[in-house]
Amino acid sequence: MMGWIAVICVLSPAAAPSVAQVSPYRVPRTADGKPNLSGIWQALNTADWDLEGHAAAAGPVTSLGAVFAKPPGLGVVEGDEIPYLPAMTTRKKDNQTNWTKLDPEVKCYLPGVPRATYLPYPFQIVQSQNNVLISYEYAGAVRVINMGAPTKAPADSWMGWSNGHWEGETLVVDVTSQLEDTWFDRSGNFHSDALHVVERYTPRTPDIIDYEATIEDPNVFSRPWKISMPLYRRVEKNARLLEFKCPEFAEELLYGPLRKKD
Amino acid sequence: MTYRSLASVIAFAAVIAASMLAQIPAAVQAQSPATPAKTASATRAWTPPLLPDGKPDLQGVWTNNTVTDLERPKALAGKEFYTEAELKDLQNQERQRLYVTETEGQPPANHSGVEGAGADDVHYDFSQFGLDRAQAKLAWSRRTSIIVGPEGTIPPLTPDARKRLAEIRAKAKGHEFDGPEMLPLGARCIARVNVVPLLPSAYNSNLQIVQSAGYVAIETEEIHDVRVIPTDGRSHIPGNIRQWYGDPVGHWEGNTLVVDTTNFTEMSPFRGAQNLHVIERFTRVDQDTILYQFTVEDPGMWTKAWSGELPITRINGQIYEYACHEANYGLADTLRGARVAETDAAKNSAK
Repeated sequence: MMGWIAVICVLSPAAAPSVAQVSPYRVPRTADGKPNLSGIWQALNTADWDLEGHAAAAGPVTSLGAVFAKPPGLGVVEGDEIPYLPAMTTRKKDNQTNWTKLDPEVKCYLPGVPRATYLPYPFQIVQSQNNVLISYEYAGAVRVINMGAPTKAPADSWMGWSNGHWEGETLVVDVTSQLEDTWFDRSGNFHSDALHVVERYTPRTPDIIDYEATIEDPNVFSRPWKISMPLYRRVEKNARLLEFKCPEFAEELLYGPLRKKD
Repeated sequence: MTYRSLASVIAFAAVIAASMLAQIPAAVQAQSPATPAKTASATRAWTPPLLPDGKPDLQGVWTNNTVTDLERPKALAGKEFYTEAELKDLQNQERQRLYVTETEGQPPANHSGVEGAGADDVHYDFSQFGLDRAQAKLAWSRRTSIIVGPEGTIPPLTPDARKRLAEIRAKAKGHEFDGPEMLPLGARCIARVNVVPLLPSAYNSNLQIVQSAGYVAIETEEIHDVRVIPTDGRSHIPGNIRQWYGDPVGHWEGNTLVVDTTNFTEMSPFRGAQNLHVIERFTRVDQDTILYQFTVEDPGMWTKAWSGELPITRINGQIYEYACHEANYGLADTLRGARVAETDAAKNSAK
């Protein structure tokens, strides 16, 4: 009897789960049988400051001192470095040097994908059978992911055109037709209008989604590259998105020079 | 461009927004019950498709584009509904109006409706941009105004509100283009007047509804504003947190989604009200129609609450991204134009 038990124990898979290889968590289903990703989520990292690893640094506004200094971060890029084409590195450096003038986030412009995901504001997934709507607190940005047969973008846009489908527990979203005007972060990482992003949302636990985005743009990068990070559910009672309608806050910057002089 | 031209352009746009003129009938005619009682029975008559969680399906892409004014025109005082024959007349008139606009290039001068407009004032011909109301699907109604009831008008302002608005107008006089804060919230791409309550716009009166368990999300195309309405009957956010579109809390009453919205900012985008409270009801009444009803109250603003009703009809298409702020050349150019006009005026007076 003991011999049989020993054999069974030896034959059973006993792989100790590493962080990267946990067996897929099976998230509760929606009423139509799909993994349920609905809820309010937020990234908890400094990716919006700089996708690549970075030390802390002084901020751009002296009078704000430590309040708006650049916090440190390990980076979210697989392989640590974004693979710019040699001809594109000058523009990245210029962007980075002049970021307060050039970063569209400063002007409250729509962030595009994937930046919308890791801005320091929550977003809400409203998941329905044919559409997944994602409402972002930042600038009231929104996109509706088509979950039916893929459709083509009618025109280019800031938030791009999203077609989604399920691969097991993972929501896979293909994003095309983004305007070239968005950045990936506050450090001048940029792209062209050939940008193609494929996102993967894989629930790890009831309150964590593993988020990955593969970024491809042959005009700017020498190969596709990937970012990854956890997304955390906002579990406060009655958590909800509030308004961050920031055009008002960028108004003086954008239109102050056109104000009537006394 | 002179101040007067700018003002007349803005006024003209407002007239278009309030235009009574009718158009080619849409495939669907919305329900227009003759009495409130009939409304109740009409909404109970049809069972909507239910989502897997048992709630009525309000999803889809819709429009509330209409020719019906918010307030009943004086000429129609006391008449809450058109007859079917009168409705057909309206539709023919609208068809004719669009035809004239498209073929002659702009509305006839004597129909512009803009006070003091002259032959050389600029007229927006929306039809050349495909933005004329009649070039999009219209949700028809036999109502003579969106506001229901025998009067069909917004109730009188309270004396306090009248005084406050007069003071604001007086202060603004001569300063209308001093800076961005003097221009309407919509022109600044901060907020629009047609989100809460869900009123039609001059164009792009399009919206998309997506539902998940416990939430109804309504995205209006203009500015891409999204209201994510929880339907778990939770309490409102603390009273000191005020938002442009307030804080919506919903619940289902049978097949009707009832939404209660409070916590509007004192600088409410809606008609200058400072303490708005809006109650809305969404009921799907047939395959392609949602009956939308709303009540607005603000005791500091109007002497009594007022209510309106309009149909929302399904459209075949998608919501486009309306990147209002990102491409807001209008605001910059308006201010720039005002500065040029001032410089010109100064030069002329110096001569």
